[in-house]
Amino acid sequence: MKAEDVVKLVKKQITAVKIPNERRVFATVDKKNYKETLLTLKSNDITHLSTITGVDTGEQIVVIYHLDCGDGVMLSLKVPLPKNDPRLQTVTDVFPGAILYERDLMDMLGVKVEGHPDPRRIFLPEDWPAGKYPLRKEEAPKKEEAKK
Amino acid sequence: MTFIVPIGPQHPALEEPEHFRIEVKGEEVVDVDFRLGYVHRGIEKELCNRTYAHGLFLSQRVCGICDDAHSSAFTRAVEAVAGIECPSRARYVRTIGIELERIHSHLLWAGIAAHEIGFTTLFMLFWRDRELALDLRELLFGQRIMSGEMVLGGVRRDITPDKVPKILRNLDALEKSTKHYINVCTSDRTVIARCANVGVLTKQAARELCAVGPTARASGIDEDVRRDDPYAAYDEIPFKVITERDGDVFAKVVVRLREILESIHIIRHALDAMPKGALATRFPKKVAPNEAVGRVEAPRGELFYYVLSNGSDKPERVRIRTPSYANFPTIKPMLVGSTIAEVPIVLASIDPCFSCTDRITVVDARTGKSRIVTKEELRRLQK
Repeated sequence: MKAEDVVKLVKKQITAVKIPNERRVFATVDKKNYKETLLTLKSNDITHLSTITGVDTGEQIVVIYHLDCGDGVMLSLKVPLPKNDPRLQTVTDVFPGAILYERDLMDMLGVKVEGHPDPRRIFLPEDWPAGKYPLRKEEAPKKEEAKK
Repeated sequence: MTFIVPIGPQHPALEEPEHFRIEVKGEEVVDVDFRLGYVHRGIEKELCNRTYAHGLFLSQRVCGICDDAHSSAFTRAVEAVAGIECPSRARYVRTIGIELERIHSHLLWAGIAAHEIGFTTLFMLFWRDRELALDLRELLFGQRIMSGEMVLGGVRRDITPDKVPKILRNLDALEKSTKHYINVCTSDRTVIARCANVGVLTKQAARELCAVGPTARASGIDEDVRRDDPYAAYDEIPFKVITERDGDVFAKVVVRLREILESIHIIRHALDAMPKGALATRFPKKVAPNEAVGRVEAPRGELFYYVLSNGSDKPERVRIRTPSYANFPTIKPMLVGSTIAEVPIVLASIDPCFSCTDRITVVDARTGKSRIVTKEELRRLQK
C-alpha cells in the first residue's frame, strides 16, 4: 500500500496529516475516532502494529500507534489526550499484539487503558509508588544524578 | 491439580535473567506467565538528557551484542529528523558492519540452541566459527562488539582494500561451515527429534501477535525491513528473504542458518559494489522540531526507534521497541501444550535478549501459590 492510499483509507477520521517521505505518514485523530480508524485499517489487511509510543508534551499526552501498512509504509497515528485525565479504550481486541505495549503505556505514562485484559505492571517494581510515572515531564533526574 | 514451576530470573537455561512462571499439569504446560523489567535501565528517558551525538553511544548499549542494529536504527531516525543524508560509501560500510553482526548473532544463537538440546559438540563448533565473524569486526572496526563505528551522518572508519582479502577468506570459511551445519541440522536425528514440531507458532498467531524477524519468518510471514523499508545500502543489494512454513523450533533453526548464507552474499556484494567517496556528512548541532521513525532489521527482527526533536541539541522523546519485546507475547502459544522438558529450547527459540534481577518469587510448595517478595521485605529479612 502506498502512503497516499493509506491516507485515502482513513481520510474521513483524521484531522491532520503529514507525509515527510514516500514511506512515512504521520496523522492525528480524535480520541472518539481512533478505534474506528484502527478497525478500518485492520479490515484493509493492516495487521502489524509495530509499537505504541506515549509522549508527554506538557499539556497533553500523545499516544502514537505505529502501524506497518505493507511495502514499508509506516503510519504513525497520534491520539492526543488531556494530561489531567488520560484515558483510552484498549486496542487488544483489534491488535492482540498490543498487549504488552499498553501495559508499558500504563506503567510509564499513566495512561489509563480501559478494558485491558491484563492490566498488571510490566516494567516497574511492585513497590513503585502509585501515581509516579517515569516518562512524564515532571519526573526529571535528581540534581546529583544530572551532574554525573 | 496444576503446579507452578518458576524459571528465572536466575536460571542456567537463560543467558540473561528473565522470570517465567510455567503452570504444569503433570508434564504438560497449561499456562505461562512472565515478568519483564529486571533490566529496565531507563534508557528512553536518559536519551532525552543527552545530546544526539552522545545518545548514539547509549543507544548502542541497549543490547549486549546488537550494537550496530541499535546504532543504525538510532542514526536512521536522527538523520531523518535532521534531514541529512549519509554518503553512499558510508552506507556500504554500515551494511557490512550490520551483516557481520547478524552472522555472529545467529551463530551465537545457534550455539545456545545446540546447548539447550544437549548437543554440546555442535555448540562448540558454532561458537568456534562465530570467531571468524568477530575477528572481521575487530579488523574492520577495531572492536568485536560495541565497535561504535557509526557516527551521525556516516561512519568513523573506512574499509581499505588491503583488508578485503582477509574478509573474503573468512567469509569463504564461514560459508563452507554454515553449509555443513545446515546439512547437520537438517539430517541429524537428535536435532530433528528435539526441534521438529516443538514450540509451534502458527502463521495466524504470529500475525495477530505482531511477531517480528526470524520468529515471524519461520511461521511463513514474508517480512523483512531490509527489503520492505530499505536503509543503509540494502536498496542496491539483491538478497533473498528466507521464510519457512512450519513455525516450529526446527524452522527457526533453518531460517537463521540460511540467513547467515544470505548475509555472506550481501557482504561480498557490498565489497564489490562499494562506491568511492566521503565517509560522513556534517551533523548539525541543533535539530529543528521534527519527528521520524527509524526502523531496521536487527538479527532478532524489526527494531523500532521513534525520535521527536524540539529545536535543541537533545531529543524531546526517543521510543525504542526492541525485537525481543515484540516477540514476547508469542511465547504463550508456543509453550502451551508442550512438555516441561521442551521449555528451555522453546524459550530460547525466539532468541530473547535481557539481563539482571532485583526481586525474587517464593512458591509455597503446599499450596502452589506464589508471591513476589519486594526489596523492602528482603531488607527486613536480612536484618
